[in-house]
Amino acid sequence: MKLPVALVVLAATVAGLCFAPVFGVGALLPVIAVVAVVTAVAALLCQSLVSWRPLVVTLAGLLAVVEVLLFPTTVAGLPTLTTLTQLAEGATESWQLTLQSTWPARPEAGLMLFVPLLVVPACVFGLEIVLRLQKPVLALVPSFLVVVLSQLFGALTGLAAVVAALSYVAVAAILFVVTRPSDEHQSAQAFLPAPLVVTAVVVVIGLLVPMPGPAYSLKQDQLVPVSARMTSPLDEVGHRHARPDAPVFSVRPSCDECVPDRWPIVVLDTYDGVTWAPGSRYRRLGTELEPPDLHVPVQRRDAVISLREPETRWLPSQTWPAAVRGADPLVEETEGSLLAESPLRTDVGYGLSWWEPTVGGSLDGFAIDPRRGGLGGIGSPPPGVTELAAGAVKGVRSSFTSALQLERFLRENYRRVDGPGGHSWPQLRRFLLDTKEGTSEQFAAAYVVLARTLGIPARLVVGYRTPERKSGGEYVVHNGDVLVWPEVAVAGVGWVPLDPAGAAPRGAGKDNGLTAATQNARDQLPPAPVDPPVAPGTSAPADAEHQPFPLLTTLITVAALVLAWLAGVPGAKWVRARLRRRQPGSAAVHGAWLEARDRLREHRVRHTAGMTPLEMAAAAAEAGLPATANGMRTLASTMDIAMWSGTAPGPHLGDHAWAAVREVRRGLRQRGLPARVRAAVDPRTLKA
Amino acid sequence: MNQMRAAAVFSAISANVQLVVRGKPDVVRLAIVALLAEGHLLVEDVPGLGKTTLARCLARSIGGSWSRIQFTPDLLPGDITGVTVYHQKDEQFTFHPGAVFANVVVADEINRGTPKTQAAMLEVMSERHVTVDGVSHEVPSPFLVVATQNPIEMEGTYRLPEAQLDRFLLRLSVGYPDLADEVSIIMNNCTGMDADRLHPVVQIAELVEAINEVRGLFVDGAICEYAARICAATRLHASVRFGASPRGSIALVRAAQALAATAGRSFVTADDIKYVAVPALAHRLVLTAEAELKQRSAADVVAEVLATTPAPTMSAAGR
Repeated sequence: MKLPVALVVLAATVAGLCFAPVFGVGALLPVIAVVAVVTAVAALLCQSLVSWRPLVVTLAGLLAVVEVLLFPTTVAGLPTLTTLTQLAEGATESWQLTLQSTWPARPEAGLMLFVPLLVVPACVFGLEIVLRLQKPVLALVPSFLVVVLSQLFGALTGLAAVVAALSYVAVAAILFVVTRPSDEHQSAQAFLPAPLVVTAVVVVIGLLVPMPGPAYSLKQDQLVPVSARMTSPLDEVGHRHARPDAPVFSVRPSCDECVPDRWPIVVLDTYDGVTWAPGSRYRRLGTELEPPDLHVPVQRRDAVISLREPETRWLPSQTWPAAVRGADPLVEETEGSLLAESPLRTDVGYGLSWWEPTVGGSLDGFAIDPRRGGLGGIGSPPPGVTELAAGAVKGVRSSFTSALQLERFLRENYRRVDGPGGHSWPQLRRFLLDTKEGTSEQFAAAYVVLARTLGIPARLVVGYRTPERKSGGEYVVHNGDVLVWPEVAVAGVGWVPLDPAGAAPRGAGKDNGLTAATQNARDQLPPAPVDPPVAPGTSAPADAEHQPFPLLTTLITVAALVLAWLAGVPGAKWVRARLRRRQPGSAAVHGAWLEARDRLREHRVRHTAGMTPLEMAAAAAEAGLPATANGMRTLASTMDIAMWSGTAPGPHLGDHAWAAVREVRRGLRQRGLPARVRAAVDPRTLKA
Repeated sequence: MNQMRAAAVFSAISANVQLVVRGKPDVVRLAIVALLAEGHLLVEDVPGLGKTTLARCLARSIGGSWSRIQFTPDLLPGDITGVTVYHQKDEQFTFHPGAVFANVVVADEINRGTPKTQAAMLEVMSERHVTVDGVSHEVPSPFLVVATQNPIEMEGTYRLPEAQLDRFLLRLSVGYPDLADEVSIIMNNCTGMDADRLHPVVQIAELVEAINEVRGLFVDGAICEYAARICAATRLHASVRFGASPRGSIALVRAAQALAATAGRSFVTADDIKYVAVPALAHRLVLTAEAELKQRSAADVVAEVLATTPAPTMSAAGR
């Protein structure tokens, strides 16, 4: 029984590895492998203790989980109360914490405990079923349930899906073969066609047919609840200007070229006419975030950030964060903001990696990209604002050029002053329509609402400018470096920062090309707004990844194949019967036997190479087709006379045999319509 | 139709035997098949299932002579074959025939005889004559040996060698009766209906005629080839150390001929071959030690061979 035990455990292992989209194979494999080996060995050692085996195997599996994932909580490997508490929390909470994380999730015990805890019962139940009942199908049910659950977490796609499916099918097939009763006469070769067809279909569909991403994941509705009672960094800007020398954080970049010119703290995307609010879709940051989907090259940058301000929750970040080391923050995936779950101390440092787009040339003529958001409401704008926005760009359609024209409009027609600001509509209306004087925050907020009025996706960002001077190998950012700026979404490039107040003097940051490209576009602005030509290839991303799934073509192909099958198989059988019937003499009788045999095989009547017509009649009766027995017996006697009597078959013997075939078919008509349709389109009997 | 005589002989003997042997029509049919095919019959089963009764009923139903030999370890070959005795009055050696000089010989518990005694049966079963003191003596024709043995109780027995097993055309197991048949057997016993009450229903001349008819039954070449393929497949089977010999193929076809004759047919079909395959071949196979450890029986192997060997569907002439 070693092989069935190993196969059941292997099936559970493959099932556990189907959580690869969540944690990655590298993190899962050691844990699940240890659990699987321990449960298998425990099951084999306890073969004589049948009653105690489930308990012993379960305890062995749990002990393996503890030793692999919770060893720090043990005393010399022995579980403590802390271990049991964490084990219980892992069983009840880890799955939810994982759903609240970005994927791949961090391979921490608190998150991934539920996976081995699923594999253990899958092994235990599967082993008991195969050892006690010897039912391979039932034994695979627990591991298959784990597979289903893993796919509800995150469905495997592409090559990984093909490999996982084929691995599981291979294990299941071997289990069926090794547990097959030895008195069955069918050889293993008889089982080959079905797995081969399944394998071919899986490979073709998985590798050749472009599939869309998973349609559903349990993850999509699971977010970390964040308290709304947090002070907005936008409201603190005035306070920071009052104390410009207080350090906020310091940055130690991994290279001089890695220094960005700005450090966003929070992105404010939602405006109700009074307050600006950040996004609310926060998740725990996993091991790595994927690079952004842009049309320009993207580089990975690294820096170490040390917090110098107490009670910090908003962490300096970048637009496209990749990973954080040394801290476990939440991340707003669409905005890039990092938020600590609880206020951090001043001496906390963390390593930040981010993706930085590299842009060359000019952004002149680039289209805007409404898919990235940035149209999160403008409240109820007072009269005159919409007209002001339209007049600023002279009715030019929404594009990056019109965004720059709006920026130039504010720069040329409004004046920046220091002092109390405010960003609700009354204050913005006063700034835009009356005084035409405002703070840099008012410039940025006004720009965003005017851009949104024109249909340009824009958002407000609060952050810091990188200071010009280095101190002790790191840049120390102070309150005086605080900055508020608008960003607009540009197709293929992402979020591009603008400066409608002209208040962002350049610091020590190295330009990645975005600032220069934006400046080039500014320089190319015509004196008066005109409708710009849209650069070819920039307005409508047309790479294969964004092409819609060819659903119609696929449906037509599938429908054609199904129709060809439904019509072709019965047609081929009809032609075959005609050819058999037209044979002369004893060959017609032989053809009648083959026809009757194939008709019965279509209806799932057991058949082996050694069967005679009489035995086929008995098998048909066993299969619930007694109405065919008379016809088969008549056919058997006719065939005996035609073949074995040593006399020449009479002229009507063939007709007699085919009359028996018709009687068999009449007997088959007593079956239900679904069974007859299934038999008619069954192509297996077309093979001789 | 000539074969009607063989069928009539079968019907008469079958009906007579089944007056005592209840609920075993297939066993009775195969026993008569062995008789019509001029073969010998080995009935093998646990005690009390009617092996000896079947043999005695068969012997009683035929009008010829019959004898019964109870094999024991002290049974001597001369007790079976006969001895030459000096006759003082005539001053000559006179041959006194043994128990084998009968049309039907019931060899009860044949495996209790010593190998030497069993070997004495070998010559008479295959050659149909015995040689005593250099003189051959023909046994009467037809000649049928119906032997019984108990395969379970091995103490004090001598297993029949393969060479002697091969001499038997068919090996049968009687098997337990079902409830209704067992009730019928008990009632027969209460009324004194046993083998001794049976009377011959077929005369020797009729039996010889039926045997000759069976011998002349038509067998298509494809059927012969089918029988040969089955025997060849037993030799290639993984669980078999020694498969069926060509004598097995011949026995298979001869038994199928007799079976077809009992059905009133003048030709042999593939179904006839399959019907007699297990009783005709299983006792000729020597299984591997591994197969025996797995408790596979020779009958299972023959059944497997029958399931996998393609049955003929076209006569040799029609191909």
